[in-house]
Amino acid sequence: MDIYQHLSSDFTAILITLKLAIVTCFLLALIGTPLAYFLAFKSKKTKPFIETIVTLPLVLPPTVIGFYLIIIFSPETALGKIFIILTGEQLIFSFYGLVMASIIYSLPFWVQPLQASFEKIGRDTIRTSYSLGASPLDTFFNVIIPLCKRGFFTSLIISFAHTLGEFGIVLMVGGGIHGKTKVIAISIYDHVEQLSFGNAHILAGGMLILSFIILLTLFYFNKRTVVRVK
Amino acid sequence: MSNLSVLLNGKIGNLFLNFEHHFKNDGITILYGPNGSGKTTIFSALGGFINNLETRILFNGNELHNVDKYPPNKRPFGIMFQNPILFEHLSVEENLDFVIKRNQLNTQNKSLISKEYLINKLELNSLLKRSPENLSGGEKLRVVLARTILKHPNYLLLDEPMSDLDIKYKAKLLVFLKDFNKKFKIPIIYITHSIEEISQIGDQIVLIKNGKKIDSGSVSNIFNRRSFVDLTGKFESSSILEGIVSRYDKNLHITTLDLNGQKLVVPGLPGKLNDIVRVRIRSRDILISSSRIKTQITENELQGLISSIEIEKNSAFSELVIELKNFKNNRKKQKLRARITTYNLKNKQLLIHDNVFIYVSSVSIDRQAYQSK
Repeated sequence: MDIYQHLSSDFTAILITLKLAIVTCFLLALIGTPLAYFLAFKSKKTKPFIETIVTLPLVLPPTVIGFYLIIIFSPETALGKIFIILTGEQLIFSFYGLVMASIIYSLPFWVQPLQASFEKIGRDTIRTSYSLGASPLDTFFNVIIPLCKRGFFTSLIISFAHTLGEFGIVLMVGGGIHGKTKVIAISIYDHVEQLSFGNAHILAGGMLILSFIILLTLFYFNKRTVVRVK
Repeated sequence: MSNLSVLLNGKIGNLFLNFEHHFKNDGITILYGPNGSGKTTIFSALGGFINNLETRILFNGNELHNVDKYPPNKRPFGIMFQNPILFEHLSVEENLDFVIKRNQLNTQNKSLISKEYLINKLELNSLLKRSPENLSGGEKLRVVLARTILKHPNYLLLDEPMSDLDIKYKAKLLVFLKDFNKKFKIPIIYITHSIEEISQIGDQIVLIKNGKKIDSGSVSNIFNRRSFVDLTGKFESSSILEGIVSRYDKNLHITTLDLNGQKLVVPGLPGKLNDIVRVRIRSRDILISSSRIKTQITENELQGLISSIEIEKNSAFSELVIELKNFKNNRKKQKLRARITTYNLKNKQLLIHDNVFIYVSSVSIDRQAYQSK
C-alpha cells in the first residue's frame, strides 16, 4: 500500500479516536461527576472501598481489564445478550464496547481531580448555600460547578487526553477493526509492525503534538491546579 | 411572634448532648460555655445538618426536625457559621443578591430590611464590586452578616462572629446588632466567649457545659450566679448593674446613671435619657473601705452592705457580695461582687452586714452597646 492509501485509513482512525474521546468524556461527566460528589461529601465508611475500585484501572495492566471485559461483554453473558437484543450487534468488538471500556479505564482521571476540587470547596460552602435557601440542585449548578470549574476543566482535559492514548484495552475489547474500532494508537502499532515508519511518524508525531498542546493548555490555564493521580 | 424550642439528645463525637431550651422570641440570647460544650452543634442541628441525634425542634408549632419536610434550605434561620464563607465566584454584591433572589417569599409579610439599609449601615458601598478573595477578615464578616440578614430569617444565629475583629470595629458592629435587633424585632441567638460582648448586647443567656444546659436567665441575673462564675473563672467575675440615664455631659462624654438614688458615672452614652441601661463592673476593679475616703480617688462612690463573704481556700483572694443601698426603694436591690485579697479583708476587719463604701473607676466600667442618634 502506498502512503496515501494509508493516510485515508489513518484519517478514519483519527475520526474514530476523537469520537471515542468525546463520547467517553460526555458519559464520564454524567457518571463520574456524581461519583466524585459522593466520594467527596457523602460516603464515609464505603469511601476507601469505592476509591479503591475507581483507582484500580490506574494500577492494573490494561490486559487484565481487557481480559475481564472480553468475558463480561461476550454474547453469552446477560449484558452481551441484552446488547444483542437492543442493537442486533455484539457488544464485544463494537464501538459501544469500546466506549464502555474507555469509561472504566478513564474513570479515575475524571473522578480524582474533581473529587479533590469538591473537597477543597468543602462541606461548609454547601451548608452555607443551603442555609441561604438554595436547594441541593440549585447549589450544585450555581455554587459548586462555578467554584469547581478548574476541577472540571482538569478532569475533562486529562480524561480526553488519556482516552486518546489508550491502546491495550481498546485492542483487546475492540479488536482493532478498521473503520469501527481501530483507533490511532492501534494504527501506529500496525504501521510499525508493517515497517511503514513514515505513516507511524505522521500519527505518532501528531499524537505527541496534540497531547503536548492539550497538557500545555491545562497547565497554562490551571496554574494553581495540581493534577492528582495516585 | 415566633416561638422556638429545641431538644437535642445523643452522642456526637465524644460529646453527650442533652440540651433543652425554649428560646425567647425577642432580644439577643447568648449561648455561653467552654469550647467543645456543644454550642456550635446546636446551630448545626437547627440548620438541619445533623442527622444522628435525637432532635426535636418546634418552631411556631412546626416540627422542623422533620428533615424531609424541612431540609436545610427550607428552615427559617439565618446562620452565620464560625468560619463564614463567601462565594468566591461571585462579587460582594452578587453574594448579597444570591440570597435575595432565593428568599423573595420570606420578605413579603415582614418589614423589609433593604439591601441599601445594610450597605449603608455596614459600610459595604466600596466593597460591592470587589471579589471576596481580597477582602480583609473584617470586611468579609460584614458582607456575610449582611447576606445572612437579607434572608429575612425568623431567627438570626451568629456563631462567634466577632472573634476576628479589631476592638474598634467590634464595638461598632455590636451597636449595629443591638440596634438591628430592636428595630426589626428579629431575635438573635449569639455564641460567644467574650464577657464584654455578653454584657454589651446580651439580654438572655444560656449556659452550656458538656452538652448540657446548666443555667439560663437574663444576663443581669446570671452574672451574679455561681453557675456563671464557675464557667468564667474567678478572674472574670463581674456584676451587671442597671441604672437610669439621668444626665449626659456632651463635652466630657460621660453619662451619669441613677442606681436607686446612687450615682454612677460611666464613659460615653449607653442610652437615651431615662433609659434603663446595664453596665458591667469586674469584681477585681472594685475598692472597698469601711469608712468614706475623703480624698477623691475616683468619680464613683457607692454605698452598700456586705451580704456574704467567701474566703477562698488555697488562694490569696476573697469574694464579697455587696448589696447596694437603695435610697429610692422603688426597684429591686442590686448586688455587686467584689474580689479583694484576704489580707486586705483581714486588715480592714470587714465582716458580714458591715456598711461599706465602694470605689470604682469609670474607666473600668463596660457599658452596653448603644447607638447615639
